Amino acid sequence: MGLRILLISWALGLSAGAPASAADRSLSVTIYTDLALVQDRRDIDVKGGRQRIEFPDVSAQIRPETVSLTAGDIRIVEQNFDFDLLTPGKLMEKAVGQVVTIVRVNPATGVETREQAEVLATNGGVVLKIGQRIEVLRDDGLPVRVIFDKVPDNLRAHPTLSVTVIGGHAGTRTATLSYLTPGLGWKADYVALYNEGDSKIDVQGWVTLSNSSGVTYDNAQTLLVAGSPAQVDGAARQPNYYHPPQPRPTLQQAGTESGNRERLGDYYLYPLAERTTIANLQTKQVSFLDVHGVPAEHGYEFRNHWLGSAETPQSAKSIYAFSTSSHAGLGDQLPAGILRFYMRDKRGDPQFIGESRIDHTPMGSTLSLATGDAFDVKVRAVIDKRTRLSGSAWQSDMRYELSNALPTPVTVKLLQDGLWGDARVTAESQKSTRRDANTAEWSVAVPANGKASVTATFESRY
Amino acid sequence: MAAVLTAVHAIAAAPVLSAAPAMAEDAVADKPSALSVTVYRAPERGSGSIDLDDLGGFALISETRTVHLPAGSSRLRFEGVADGIEPASAIVTGLPGGVIEKNRDGKLLSPSALIAAALDKPVTLLRTDQKTGKLTRTAGRIRSDADGGVVFETSAGVEALRCSGLPETFSFEGLADLRATPTLSVLVRSAEPLTRTVTLSYLARDFDWAADYIATVSADGKTMDLGAWVTLANGNAVGFPSARAFVVAGRVNRESGEVEPLDAGGPILAQCWPQGSTSDPQYLQRIGLDERELEMSGRMFKKSVSGAGPAMFQVVALAAQRPVEQEQLGDLKLYRVPDRTTVASRQSKQVRLLDRTGIPVRLVYSADVAADEIAASAPASRLLRTKNDVLHHLGLPLPSGRIAVFASRGAEQLLLQESGMRDLAVDEDVEISLGGSPDVEVAAQKGETTISNARAGEILFELRLRLPAGATIVHADHPLDTKNGRPLFRLTIPANESVTVRYQWRPRTG
Repeated sequence: MGLRILLISWALGLSAGAPASAADRSLSVTIYTDLALVQDRRDIDVKGGRQRIEFPDVSAQIRPETVSLTAGDIRIVEQNFDFDLLTPGKLMEKAVGQVVTIVRVNPATGVETREQAEVLATNGGVVLKIGQRIEVLRDDGLPVRVIFDKVPDNLRAHPTLSVTVIGGHAGTRTATLSYLTPGLGWKADYVALYNEGDSKIDVQGWVTLSNSSGVTYDNAQTLLVAGSPAQVDGAARQPNYYHPPQPRPTLQQAGTESGNRERLGDYYLYPLAERTTIANLQTKQVSFLDVHGVPAEHGYEFRNHWLGSAETPQSAKSIYAFSTSSHAGLGDQLPAGILRFYMRDKRGDPQFIGESRIDHTPMGSTLSLATGDAFDVKVRAVIDKRTRLSGSAWQSDMRYELSNALPTPVTVKLLQDGLWGDARVTAESQKSTRRDANTAEWSVAVPANGKASVTATFESRY
Repeated sequence: MAAVLTAVHAIAAAPVLSAAPAMAEDAVADKPSALSVTVYRAPERGSGSIDLDDLGGFALISETRTVHLPAGSSRLRFEGVADGIEPASAIVTGLPGGVIEKNRDGKLLSPSALIAAALDKPVTLLRTDQKTGKLTRTAGRIRSDADGGVVFETSAGVEALRCSGLPETFSFEGLADLRATPTLSVLVRSAEPLTRTVTLSYLARDFDWAADYIATVSADGKTMDLGAWVTLANGNAVGFPSARAFVVAGRVNRESGEVEPLDAGGPILAQCWPQGSTSDPQYLQRIGLDERELEMSGRMFKKSVSGAGPAMFQVVALAAQRPVEQEQLGDLKLYRVPDRTTVASRQSKQVRLLDRTGIPVRLVYSADVAADEIAASAPASRLLRTKNDVLHHLGLPLPSGRIAVFASRGAEQLLLQESGMRDLAVDEDVEISLGGSPDVEVAAQKGETTISNARAGEILFELRLRLPAGATIVHADHPLDTKNGRPLFRLTIPANESVTVRYQWRPRTG
């Protein structure tokens, strides 16, 4: 034991820069969707004069260009991020031209012979100069130990950040190191239990943190930010091409209510109540929402593409709609994530019935989420006739056959898209509404264990 | 304070005894006392069979466990959860005051994980003298395990592990919180020591199930018997003894892309410096290098990993068993295996789905012909038609799957055709493809199609026409019908005769 303590202190004395003290360390991390800002406050010993300070326990995915160190009156000369890793091969490579100790072990007697050797080359095999002899290391396959005096200065087990400073007066002071790192992100996960009896859902919201940044953040004060700050792609620093916003079919109506969550600019902030340790490769979940008895609507939707026709009936989508309003809703804005729906089986055990992804959703919105295909509610779209009226004008007679194998009547929202604003409905068996220029919508009641049918005639040009 | 994110009520309810979660005591939940496994099929897979090497489905697993909590904060561990667990989906119910946080640690216990955890910590180096067998223990510490090469330091100096050709290894001081299987832990607080029964539910990957139908057509071809198996498979290294098992039919939405990565670890690779010798030919060295790179890239698994490695699948069929019970689950169909069963690790298991006899069927020959094209003689396709209702001895939801059709030849059964079947709700038409028939040939000219029947009996034949866009049939010498908006002739072809159907169409107007 005594030897071990001696050994450790001796080993520390050998390492090149002074590692910044890990005691009195205070970490705070601000986590965006897939990016984190780490602020690492700790005491450093300043000797006065030029000095290198190492931070070995920063994120392995650190973006070194975002590092900043503030510590009173010291001045930063340079910052280095060393990613030359300590491996046996590198150790031997850096020993070229230097003297190592080799220990030969006689396989017959077990007797050790020590010699000093100069490493000449490591290309393919290790070539040594022992006295005036040139030898290849372990060319005869016999055991030979190679002992190096020390680990070269810039080889480390993990990529390490080092900062060279010129200090003012000697003494201990608090330094704050801050940097951005990918590999630390969060999303929301929701559990929704739908109660078929009274059409209500209970929703629990969990924040899921995941850390693949390579280090553990011990006892960190954690703040989550709902929103994705724009980042410039490191590879192509050219003006971004225009990306049209993605459609959000799940959001039926955007909300206009404000909650009492903390905000920064247009981002919502979710501070964790207690300090927490985010271990490397750990997935951590913290609750942020727990609402019971929110009214929800269950329905069916079927979207037929323009001139879509099917030989066999296709399943309608099973849809659950609810509000995030403070009246008769979840009463909160929802960070982006996955909503998993559960429902109780006949014996009362919750069973999974599907999941849906939602985007950042303001409070007061109406969400309409598909959980999967309905087994018993099907639609078959048929083109009965296509007639050319003149030139580029065509008439399409469409028939939609709906069937319901459930013992209860259902209402299916039947959508025909691809109308592009120039297709007109000239005749139809039941009145449609135009959801938008592109889409006609019928609300079709299908009796229990029964069928229904809708016909429509479109006039279009191409 | 309302904006602070946590299960706030949980903290308010229990006095805060220990502020730092890092000081929490460890408590391990008992082994599950009750288990339930609900298997969902791979959403993208059609009616094909399941691939035991790459199960694309998933399962909802619920475990009932007893926990003993000390007073204050504790870190409650659930050991032995399925290795394909999706940690974000985990739900724990029944804990007093709720859950402060849930964690899944991604590092598994393995030789390389032990080395990584021991980095810069004291370890003991063990060397055995090959001549005398004497064991030497030396205090040291590991300086690096970067890229699989281990560099350590003792009072003698710096050395690389297993580069000398001598037997040498490390002995470690502790497990450093590493576990053999993925472990889910939750941070809870309790005012007093207590014992509770809690339920842990989660979704896990590497499961799948399929329905496999066997239809046997009677000698006269007028009825068939239909039987089906549910085949469910567990590709996880964890088994579920005496579990309530369910399968769910219907397609459910799945959004989760990649599961949070798991470091399944691996051996200590002990990479060395170049070790070529004077007798090595040049090309051999290159091969050696490639192999090393390959080994290194295999160290980090990014998918759900079955830690046990490529074990063989065990296939179990449970014959003479009560069929599964079906019930409605929202818009899905839930099938309950009647008795508790063991869903063992890397096992595929079969239970009876249904058995129906004497289902009336109609054999129909059909062909699909373009009206304005010339087609050489080709076999017509055969279809077995029936309806999924009580009148036809069916009338129950039929989940999609493979169907194998057999015919009797005396006491023997002969396979006629294997095909796929989609999800069929009650009252839907059932069509089972029996493949082509060389006895019934179809040849088309422009404006006419000839069907020849080499069978000894008359057959029902359906001829469907594809017309150019906007065209309509103006004249035909057989009665014309339509199906799905296309012209159709329903014909009866007498035994050993040919029938020619002639038709004229008008191209689109204008």
